[in-house]
Amino acid sequence: MTSRLLWIVAALVIWAALPFFVPRNIADLLVFTGIYTIAGLGIGLLLGHCGIVNLAQATFYGLGAYSSAYCTVMLGLPSIAGFVVGAVISMALAYLIGRPILRLTGYFLALATLALGAIASALFFEWDWLTGGTLGIGGIPKLDLFGFVLDRPSRYYFFVWIVAFTCMAVAHNLVGSRTGLMLRSMRDSSTAAASLSVDLQALRTQVFVVCALFGSLAGSLFAHHASFVSTQSFTVDRSISFLLIPVIGGATSIPGIVAGALFVTFLPELLSKLGDIHQILFGLALVGVVVLLPDGLMGAYGRLQRRLAPRRSGHDH
Amino acid sequence: MTTDPLLALRQVGHSFGGLAVLRSVTFDVPEGGIVGLIGPNGSGKTTLFNIVSGYIRPLAGTIDYRGASIAGSSIQQRGLAGLVRTFQTPQVFEQMTVLENIMVGCTKLTRTNMLQDLLRTPAARAQMQEIRRRAEAACERFRLGALADLPAASLTAGQRRILEIARAVVGEPRLLLLDEPSSGLNAQEIENLRDWIVRLNEEGITVLLVSHDMGLMTVAHTVHTLYFGEIIASGDMAAIQRDARVREVYLGV
Repeated sequence: MTSRLLWIVAALVIWAALPFFVPRNIADLLVFTGIYTIAGLGIGLLLGHCGIVNLAQATFYGLGAYSSAYCTVMLGLPSIAGFVVGAVISMALAYLIGRPILRLTGYFLALATLALGAIASALFFEWDWLTGGTLGIGGIPKLDLFGFVLDRPSRYYFFVWIVAFTCMAVAHNLVGSRTGLMLRSMRDSSTAAASLSVDLQALRTQVFVVCALFGSLAGSLFAHHASFVSTQSFTVDRSISFLLIPVIGGATSIPGIVAGALFVTFLPELLSKLGDIHQILFGLALVGVVVLLPDGLMGAYGRLQRRLAPRRSGHDH
Repeated sequence: MTTDPLLALRQVGHSFGGLAVLRSVTFDVPEGGIVGLIGPNGSGKTTLFNIVSGYIRPLAGTIDYRGASIAGSSIQQRGLAGLVRTFQTPQVFEQMTVLENIMVGCTKLTRTNMLQDLLRTPAARAQMQEIRRRAEAACERFRLGALADLPAASLTAGQRRILEIARAVVGEPRLLLLDEPSSGLNAQEIENLRDWIVRLNEEGITVLLVSHDMGLMTVAHTVHTLYFGEIIASGDMAAIQRDARVREVYLGV
């Protein structure tokens, strides 16, 4: 327990020092890692605890981003308004669409979310009076927290990660709660869960709504960071990236989401230095992780620990 | 005091694709009783069980539970009203531990909403402690204590069966529906199961038992014999075994 505490303290010190020591482009990627962690957390809750593949997270990410862009640039409202509007619209949409489509299971449900993502992506393009279409909306101001402007990169880094840690704490609470028990029970056997009065439909919808909230928050944070949003950022490709986060990191592990987010933000950037071949290499790395580490990076880490543990005690005797 | 039976089936009928599997089935399950349902494969036992527990809606007839129709109730609503079933193939939550499996059985006794769980409010924490306390007690009681932290996937068939019953009982059912509970068990395990059924019944849980295991069926106070969707004989096990039609169906004599 004390060694675990030490790890946490060490990680916090590194986390706090990082933006002051790394080059600008790395600091920028770390902000994206935080944003992707938030979006990936929602997908991880659905995938790891409900067994649901959600391929529509870019929709909620887009709703958050466009809400922030529209509220601040077009309407001149304070930053917080964009966050709230995006969250409310995303959660309402997730509820209205979740009720009917969450009756489906497995591949059919995954395809339904894919369809939702594709429709939303097309609407973002078509409704250019609202979204600016391919030209997008530019000039989004720096995030202003009731007068405190996050105008320096380090400030934004800290803010994004505080939001990310808060979301992780909330997700952790959910996993360890009564609701978390019921979610895992229906993932393992929905038939038996129903016999124990677990209301599958309501729970799945609620987690879908939480996932959409995380997606929207991440989108609003992205808009203020990039200062420009356009349709290219909210395509189905983006949803696939978000799905990769828990797949790579380990769907049932919350720290695993950070590992997955680091993977999808840093690896393509590092590989891009190698020229045109980088997309193929990223694909290969992805296949490597999925084939060699079926339970993700955190699952592999857990197995490594278990393998080392008996050996260590063996030396003691 | 009411003299109504706990569960009353009247002229229940069902068919799959024009093939009648249940025809006008009528019987009562009195409060505090153990009622058995036997019949050869394909006689409609499982269909009847699925109808009572809410997994299938019957095409004909009525089902009253505690004096009121439950035709419109969902599986979950029936569970909350105290009607809980087990499955022919034990349906344990394989990736969860034995203790967690039992904890799921306790979740219906408490009420927190997801917002409280997300924020881990004091009420949510207190309820989770209560769930854990009850589950631990049940774990000890059903002699699953040593297995508490193992994933349910690692249990034997007999242990799974006991876990499934523990998980159902911890939610304080009034009517426990056991679907072929002895299938896949050895003689020793069946004896153990039999003891549990008797003990739980003595504690006030009414039991409806489906089985084709004549030995286990001797725990039932009343046994109904289903044959091609119809009840052909009713009575205690001794009477059933003497019944000419039952002997003809089962033994061909």
